[in-house]
Amino acid sequence: MSDGGEAEGTRDKQNGSNLRSGAGDYSRAISRVAMAQICEGVGFEGFNESALDSLVDIAIRYVCELGKTSRFYANSAGRTGCNVFDIVQGLEDLGRPQGFTGASEVHTDCVVSSGAIREIKEYVDMADEVPFAQPVPQFPVIRERRMIPSFLQMGETPAFKHVPQWLPAFPDAHTYVRTPIWNERLSDPRTDKIELARQHRKAERSLLNLQQRLVCNGSSVAATSAEPCNGGNGSEVNNNGSLSLEKPLETEEIGVPGVSIPPKLYSQAQTEKQVSLLETFAPAIEAMKDGLDSGSDGEKTTPEKRDSVFLELKGGKKVFGEPLDLRIRKAVGRTASWFGREGEKDDKKRRVEFILRQSFENQQELPQL
Amino acid sequence: MNGQTSHQQPKDGRHDDDTALTEFLASLMDFTPTIPDELVEHYLAKSGFQCPDTRLTRLVAVATQKFIADVATDALQQCKARPAVIKDKRDKQQKEKRLILTMEDLSKALREYGVNVKHQEYFADTPSAGLDPASRDE
Repeated sequence: MSDGGEAEGTRDKQNGSNLRSGAGDYSRAISRVAMAQICEGVGFEGFNESALDSLVDIAIRYVCELGKTSRFYANSAGRTGCNVFDIVQGLEDLGRPQGFTGASEVHTDCVVSSGAIREIKEYVDMADEVPFAQPVPQFPVIRERRMIPSFLQMGETPAFKHVPQWLPAFPDAHTYVRTPIWNERLSDPRTDKIELARQHRKAERSLLNLQQRLVCNGSSVAATSAEPCNGGNGSEVNNNGSLSLEKPLETEEIGVPGVSIPPKLYSQAQTEKQVSLLETFAPAIEAMKDGLDSGSDGEKTTPEKRDSVFLELKGGKKVFGEPLDLRIRKAVGRTASWFGREGEKDDKKRRVEFILRQSFENQQELPQL
Repeated sequence: MNGQTSHQQPKDGRHDDDTALTEFLASLMDFTPTIPDELVEHYLAKSGFQCPDTRLTRLVAVATQKFIADVATDALQQCKARPAVIKDKRDKQQKEKRLILTMEDLSKALREYGVNVKHQEYFADTPSAGLDPASRDE
């Protein structure tokens, strides 16, 4: 039952797509309900899908045919609008195969006495009214079209004489006027470069800050002092292995071959061939922290602190002797050494990063050792 | 041809005709057809029918409804007549068979109205449709 209905339904849809479109499905659904209601009124208790579909098809065809015939008669009478007489003619035409009373006297004078009309009259009197189940809105809904306003509506006068006022107005000038395109650079390359450098510096500073913080957090001793970059303290802590960010032994073994000691440093510490990591980047940290102007003040304070550290570490390792030595010497000839060092700052920073990376990698290897 | 001749009406009966016609159309407005006016309007507009008068669409709706009702009545008669033939072969359940509109009855009814509907034999209208010949063969 349902199979047949579905199969037929699809076929109808394919046929109907040429004939009807848009509101086709909707009107078809309405007519299905209407047909079912009529069948129910006649006395049917049920229907097959295919049969109902055929009935719907026939009803739709009937209406269309009636409209077409009526239009034909109206057109042949020289009219575009149809009237009752055209419809009656159409009804008679459609009812011709079956025949109707009074068919023999087609040319009847009175339209009302026509057989087709008489039958309809009888039906109206006889049949009981079965209104459609639901209120049907007017369809198809024609959306109000938004027209482009004309020159007249816009209150403009056309730019050219040959353009009449009732034509749609031109779009705004900026939408079609040709403008040359320049390959314009919004930003100055120099400022770009400066900005890039600034950002680079910022990133480095934050990296060094992180480094400092790591060092400070690692040492309980440094918590008391406001100065976070105590090279000696930091390395001592690292020596204990609490943070093990850069272990002097590790840096000696691995970091040092990668680190080329700046010539100045080298000359100052010729005897010391091995330089600890913190020594290498401590000046850079200080430079970043204090800036160039206040750098000398920072230098003043640091050696005092480091003296104690120096004493502490002297017996232990050779490594720490060198940087502290250097500090002291630097404090003596501070300006010269400071400015000399300034040029090497970038290299040192780079090295710091490199060594940091390496030490992090080595950190993982430590337990194995 | 008919359209041309129908307009040549004698003047005597015209007044009566007019009143009768107006009365008839007015009576249509009182009658509510099952087929909604909007549906008829839609299809009439599609076929090129132009008329602002709602009475005419109502007339078309009523005419269509009458046509369909006639066809359905005929199909109902066919349906009522059919079980009488098969009644002997079938069970008693078939006697109290519900009246169902089928393609078979519909095509028979429509043939009288000049509509030639061929009922495809391979369509299974009912689940038992395919089984019928087999059971008959047995």
